[in-house]
Amino acid sequence: MFELLNSHYNYFAVMLLLGIGLYMLIESKNLVKKVIGMNIFQTGIFLFFITLAFRAGGNPPIIKEGGGPYVSPLPHVLILTAIVVGVSLTAVALALIIRIYTEYGTLDEDKLKQLYYD
Amino acid sequence: MTLSLIEAVLLVFVLGCAIGAAVLRDVLASLMAFAAYSLGISIIWVMLEAPDVGLTEAAVGAGIMTILFILALANTVRPQENGLFESISVRTVVLVGAFVVVMIATVPSLPAIGAEGAANPVVSGEVTQHYIDNAYADTEVHNAVTAVLAAYRGFDTLGEAVVVFSAGVAALTVLRQEVFA
Repeated sequence: MFELLNSHYNYFAVMLLLGIGLYMLIESKNLVKKVIGMNIFQTGIFLFFITLAFRAGGNPPIIKEGGGPYVSPLPHVLILTAIVVGVSLTAVALALIIRIYTEYGTLDEDKLKQLYYD
Repeated sequence: MTLSLIEAVLLVFVLGCAIGAAVLRDVLASLMAFAAYSLGISIIWVMLEAPDVGLTEAAVGAGIMTILFILALANTVRPQENGLFESISVRTVVLVGAFVVVMIATVPSLPAIGAEGAANPVVSGEVTQHYIDNAYADTEVHNAVTAVLAAYRGFDTLGEAVVVFSAGVAALTVLRQEVFA
């Protein structure tokens, strides 16, 4: 078990971050905290990708004479795109939250449910 | 690759901040824990030789994201309740724990961190090798990440720009405004 932790430590962190994000998405009553949880879930997946792109003794993928070996640039590109898309997602979620607050006057999940069904 | 001290400290810091964001009752405190989390994870990106991702995470994740959250808090409410921490729901912890255990069961089949060759097809695969061999000759850009982002996968980046534009339109529509104020 310790051997595995020593060679795969980032993947354990990934799974724990996914767990923490999922916990916040399910359990947090405040909608803003749910969005924070969604972002933590997301960065967990980013860590998975960037860890897979890493190679021991590799350099950043800035190509020059005799600069290798390089880590893989492709996962970096995918994650750059994903970070920007994640910010867009957060912006829309927060806009919806502001709108919900102006309509209902609360951000508490349970109170919102009550107000909606009344 | 074995776990070095600085990586261990960073991972503990990041996981601690994430747990802090989850259990702190005050939304602003939770948000600050999340900002510290973003900063820690951007240092992890640099440790994993991904400086482009680290820069983006520090600027966008820790910077713009925090500003967006603070703007949202300023326009809504920050509930004042007693107690520093939220109560932990046992039912959800059991559910999430089961999820994490199932996910961790997949970890032994993943390549070790820093592996190369046949063990890690992402690093040593044909696609990566093609980009590294040809990026400079094809695009005359030294940074392979930029070359892939703007040239090889340029349509992806165009799609990304469309997503950002639609997000701006959606935010304005939802808030019933004509311009960002």
